Amino acid sequence: MRPIDLARTLVAFVVLVLLHFTLRPLLGWRVGPDFLVIALLLVAIRVRPGTAAVLGLLMGIVADSIELHAFGAGALAMCCVGFAASWLKAVFFADDMFLNAFFFFSGKWAFDIIFLLAERRVGGGELLRELLVWSPITAVVTALWGLLTLLILRPILRPSRT
Amino acid sequence: MSSVARTYGRRDTILLAGCVVLSLVALFLPERMREPLATTLRRTVLAPLVSLQSDAELSRRAWATREERVAARDSVTLRSMSVDALSAENARLRDLLALGARLRWGFVPAEVLSGRGVGEQYTMPLSAGSRAGIHEYSPVVAPEGLVGVVKTTDPSMSIAIMWSHPDFRVSAMAADGSAFGIVAAHLGSGPERYLLEMRGVPVRGTITPGTEIVTSGLGGTFPRGIPVGVVIGEMETSELWARTYLLRPAVLPSAVSAVMVLLPARADSGVAGVWQTGQGTLAATRAIVNAGDSLARATVTDSTRAAAVADSAARAAATAVPRR
Repeated sequence: MRPIDLARTLVAFVVLVLLHFTLRPLLGWRVGPDFLVIALLLVAIRVRPGTAAVLGLLMGIVADSIELHAFGAGALAMCCVGFAASWLKAVFFADDMFLNAFFFFSGKWAFDIIFLLAERRVGGGELLRELLVWSPITAVVTALWGLLTLLILRPILRPSRT
Repeated sequence: MSSVARTYGRRDTILLAGCVVLSLVALFLPERMREPLATTLRRTVLAPLVSLQSDAELSRRAWATREERVAARDSVTLRSMSVDALSAENARLRDLLALGARLRWGFVPAEVLSGRGVGEQYTMPLSAGSRAGIHEYSPVVAPEGLVGVVKTTDPSMSIAIMWSHPDFRVSAMAADGSAFGIVAAHLGSGPERYLLEMRGVPVRGTITPGTEIVTSGLGGTFPRGIPVGVVIGEMETSELWARTYLLRPAVLPSAVSAVMVLLPARADSGVAGVWQTGQGTLAATRAIVNAGDSLARATVTDSTRAAAVADSAARAAATAVPRR
């Protein structure tokens, strides 16, 4: 990745992290968008899988520090999702809205599945309800906000011409 | 999938494995080791982000509760508007309690029952009646002074006419006792309707504006010394041998919400000292002056006595010398 592209990606990453801690609580929805996952996915498709996993680990550990009951669960989910996103990036290279939306949807849902299973806080019917009802809805919302973010940040995220 | 395979190498696998292991270590870390690590992260990397989140939460809450806050503010404003009225009512009730304490016995406290509407500003229904001992022509008083007189009584309620009633009359006098007359409602128009006039004051009895007028006790209905009003000025009338004065009433009809009805025995025994009138002040002044005079007389007497004693001693000394 060229330095200019790296800088642009970093700007988009910082903006999304800030949105996660400002816009998300401001919206206060039961199923709010997960800007951290969007940020991770946006960076993951631009770096190697290993780097994406490390980034996911760091983001997850930092995010987990305010949720002590799930400390480590977010890190595990983030590094797996980041690695997978980077590994599968060729599939989503196409500039297609539907594919990108599916990419965000899958990333968020996968994150929730790993997080909830690793967290081991809920089980049984509640776990199924979380995994099959709330998580998909949250993933859809995240996908929509991810698309919106892509549209807004397109000038920044467009690769520079050599 | 070939492109997928190209992007995946051994180094990435090792990094992923390392990350997963670290995540699992964090997940199964004992509480005593997890907490310091999380605290460090919260106080360093996450602190500005948590601060942002806190501000955003506050903003959302402020937005969500804006209608409640507006409603609360309106309620507070509404209450603050009624605070003055409540304070005035409290002050009036305190005055009424103080009046009751000064009267001590022979009175019945009563509430003015309904809000007076148009045409009812001359009479007032009271919440106490003959069962409480109230009779017709019982004086109705307030902390400020005379309100009116009971006209009719029922077992549980009574109706009194206020001083503003055209039929109301009371024998009154200047607080210093210098002039007497009959006080009745001033039947003028406009704001003057709620003034009183003191008629039949002898020509020689000039009353200066500001003089307090109290009941004289003549006629038996009202005991002596209840404030009626304050002289505003003399009115021009066609009468040659009597003066008429315009009075500002002691009690305003709009301020009357609770009153005291004096029972006949209390009215007969008088209400001296219950209201602080000019008469009381005059009496107090006279008492002080008298006391001063007594002191002066006592001083003179003492000095005379001392001089007499000294003279006696001197004479005794003079007569004692020749005996030697």
